[in-house]
Amino acid sequence: MLRIENLRKNYKSFSLDCTMEVRPGCVTGLIGQNGAGKSTTFKAALGLIRPDGGNIRIMGRDIGEFGVGDRQKLGVVLSDSGFSGYLTVADTVPILSNLYKDFDKPFFLEQIKKGGLPENKKIKEFSTGMKAKLKIITAISHNAGLLILDEPTAGLDVVARDELLDLLREFMEKDENRAILISSHISGDLESLCDDVYMIHEGKIILHEDTDVLLSDYAVLKMDERQYDMLDKQYILRSRKESFGYSCLTNQRQYYQDNYPKLAVIKGTIDEVITMMIRGAVL
Amino acid sequence: MKGLLVKDIRLMKNMKNSIIMIILIAVGMGSYLKDVSFIITYMALIGATFTSSTLSYDEFDNGYAFLLSLPVTRKGYVMEKYILGLILCGGGWLIGTIISVAAGVIKNTSPLGESLMIAVTLFPFALLLLSVILPFHMKFGGEKGRVIMVAAMGLIFLVTVIGAKVVEKIHIDLNAVFRNLPEPDMGVAAVSALAVGTVLLLLSCTISMRIMNKKEF
Repeated sequence: MLRIENLRKNYKSFSLDCTMEVRPGCVTGLIGQNGAGKSTTFKAALGLIRPDGGNIRIMGRDIGEFGVGDRQKLGVVLSDSGFSGYLTVADTVPILSNLYKDFDKPFFLEQIKKGGLPENKKIKEFSTGMKAKLKIITAISHNAGLLILDEPTAGLDVVARDELLDLLREFMEKDENRAILISSHISGDLESLCDDVYMIHEGKIILHEDTDVLLSDYAVLKMDERQYDMLDKQYILRSRKESFGYSCLTNQRQYYQDNYPKLAVIKGTIDEVITMMIRGAVL
Repeated sequence: MKGLLVKDIRLMKNMKNSIIMIILIAVGMGSYLKDVSFIITYMALIGATFTSSTLSYDEFDNGYAFLLSLPVTRKGYVMEKYILGLILCGGGWLIGTIISVAAGVIKNTSPLGESLMIAVTLFPFALLLLSVILPFHMKFGGEKGRVIMVAAMGLIFLVTVIGAKVVEKIHIDLNAVFRNLPEPDMGVAAVSALAVGTVLLLLSCTISMRIMNKKEF
């Protein structure tokens, strides 16, 4: 659905070098700290910036050759950009009707009503949550095959986030070939939604894993120095010196639970994994 | 592209009070001024300014990134702005023409035919305005674009003044040169000006497309 190969983009103080893939039927998450390269990757995938190297193909077509017809099949949410705040929801209806040949006006208006968005209020007067809802509803209302969502839940409270994630789940249920690329710095969103997750740090992909595997097989082991010295480290991805001894990240939780029953084993969460991957040392 | 046009027209709803005010001022000028042709230029300039202000709306809050992720190419985006410019400048010119012709006829200061001929001759000026304003705005953005455009106009003025002084110094009588030129046929002059204006607009559109193609959002 989306394939990014050796995408390179160099700025003065930052370089991106990224390879990733979003498969049909999958929700793929891109997680990383602020400034890690998430938005740069998204912008390159959308043709908004010119890469210094590499290939980007969406639905089999190179992004450089992506035309109006191809873009009909994309739904996009950008964290820092949207419709002008001087427009109203009522204004966006004829705009979208004229831009997308498959624009589903009844669905759009139904979602607007469900989401409690006022039709005749200027978007600039909307709350953060209302703006985010409008962006998502816009992206899912024209039968897109691929959604590219950069931080769609940023700044939202728990309830609003849950509502938006439900909209995305419904979107995926309607067609098994649809796919989503989503970035977020809220790991809980990704854990509950994504099939696989890429972690990006300082412009490089440092981990790619299926979410199920990440949550079931990854773990952080806590131990004192003596236990650390005796530990079989072949499945340790990262380790970090702590006041009590060491924390180690593994992708073979069961192995350590079986062989080192006295170790404190904390099941992997995306937050734990990303913290260890970034701050831990490679053995 | 039609979607973008709808967006800009919807955005212009926010300027409706200014539009009404501007038309009232033009009517006021029509009843007060002797040289009503100024109204045509004024209204065309307003049309070009409004086109430019829709670019400011797009620019605001990084709106370009979102707009260019919609089913819109950069080329299509630029073309839409020029079409909008033609509609708004043309509209401004038309309203200006109606006001000035009506004022000329009512006040009996300018016969209908003469007013219309002035209006036709001034239309290329509207095209020239658009041709200059749009690429400057696309290249440098609203605020900076305006400053650079004024500076460029100032430079052109300066070069013209210096050129005239130089010509004077080397004892060429420009007035005599112009006096000796054959009297131009107004119809031919208008068509020629229109052709030049159209070429300039097409050239400007090509330059704007290049500017947009190089931009990153």
